[in-house]
Amino acid sequence: MTKAALAALALATTATALPLAAQQLKPEAQIHLRQSTMALIGYNFGILAAMAQDKRPYDKAEAERAAEIIPHLAALPGRFFGEGTESGGHTKAKPEIWKNMDDFKKKLEHMQNEVAMLPKAAGDLATLKKQVDETGKACKSCHDDYKAK
Amino acid sequence: MTARASRIRVWDLPTRIFHWTLAALVVFSFTTGKIGGDWMDWHLASGYAILALLGFRIAWGFAGSDTARFARFLRGPRATLAYARELAARRHPFVAGHNPLGGWMIVAMLAVLLFQAGTGLFSDDQIATQGPLAARVSDATVSRMSSLHSIGEWIVVALVAVHVAAIVAYRAAWNVRLVGPMVHGRVDAPPGTAQSASKPLWLAALVLAASVCAVYVLVEIVAVR
Repeated sequence: MTKAALAALALATTATALPLAAQQLKPEAQIHLRQSTMALIGYNFGILAAMAQDKRPYDKAEAERAAEIIPHLAALPGRFFGEGTESGGHTKAKPEIWKNMDDFKKKLEHMQNEVAMLPKAAGDLATLKKQVDETGKACKSCHDDYKAK
Repeated sequence: MTARASRIRVWDLPTRIFHWTLAALVVFSFTTGKIGGDWMDWHLASGYAILALLGFRIAWGFAGSDTARFARFLRGPRATLAYARELAARRHPFVAGHNPLGGWMIVAMLAVLLFQAGTGLFSDDQIATQGPLAARVSDATVSRMSSLHSIGEWIVVALVAVHVAAIVAYRAAWNVRLVGPMVHGRVDAPPGTAQSASKPLWLAALVLAASVCAVYVLVEIVAVR
């Protein structure tokens, strides 16, 4: 095999390796991971929300830090709704997720699209407020249907 | 026997204003809670206003005008049942003020709305909104309160549905109009029915002011921001 082919193979392997790894995680590990990533998203989004609601002074550097990290975190939880994770732990995920997986993924994507706009919006309080509003609604549309209260 | 019915006042102005403001705020709270996002600020503000109104109405139930008083309209099971039997026989015994069934509806409505506003104070939607007292209690309590708050939402909807259905039924089956009197305060009463004594407006204003202050202390001073 040529070097180029080897490199391509290596690349292909790493590209598929991560989702496979997630698939092989035990259900309880997946539940733990999705809850952990959601908690971190919540922590960072909470900082932005507090600034947007004037409960905390707007700090550009801190807003941008929180906004930069959220899209990376938001890419994660979707991996951890594999088979066998409908129950267990203290999951608040509703069984409807696995019945409407396409819709669930659509809402997840909608959320990812909204948080992708946070970093740019965070540079200015007015744009941040607007994007926090939009993002919050994206969170809610999914929580309303798929998260037990 | 055919003496002219006399028109008397049954609902004083404070009770009427209370009723319509509360009705509007309940609809507003439900709607803003459903929309979410920036509207959650208004959802919270509406909840505080409801809390203040409930405080007023409960106090008015002890210190207010005749027909607003709990002691006047809360009847025992026997009287309530007797009234229900009359209704079932398609008769409508005149009651100046809340009838026995309506009286219990008032208590149910006040209790459920108090429950809803109260749990809201400790709730967290796990997105961007926390009730003002959520930071004061453990996460387990916040989680429980949030659950109760989302269950309570549907209890409120159910009670409102019963309330509205009852108004329609009274009109349809017993030819009794209930909405008008809640607007202008007057009903046609059998002759000789005593007019309900109204307490002065300044007293109502004072009671409301006290209730607003209490809510303010709760959400702005007791709360950790």
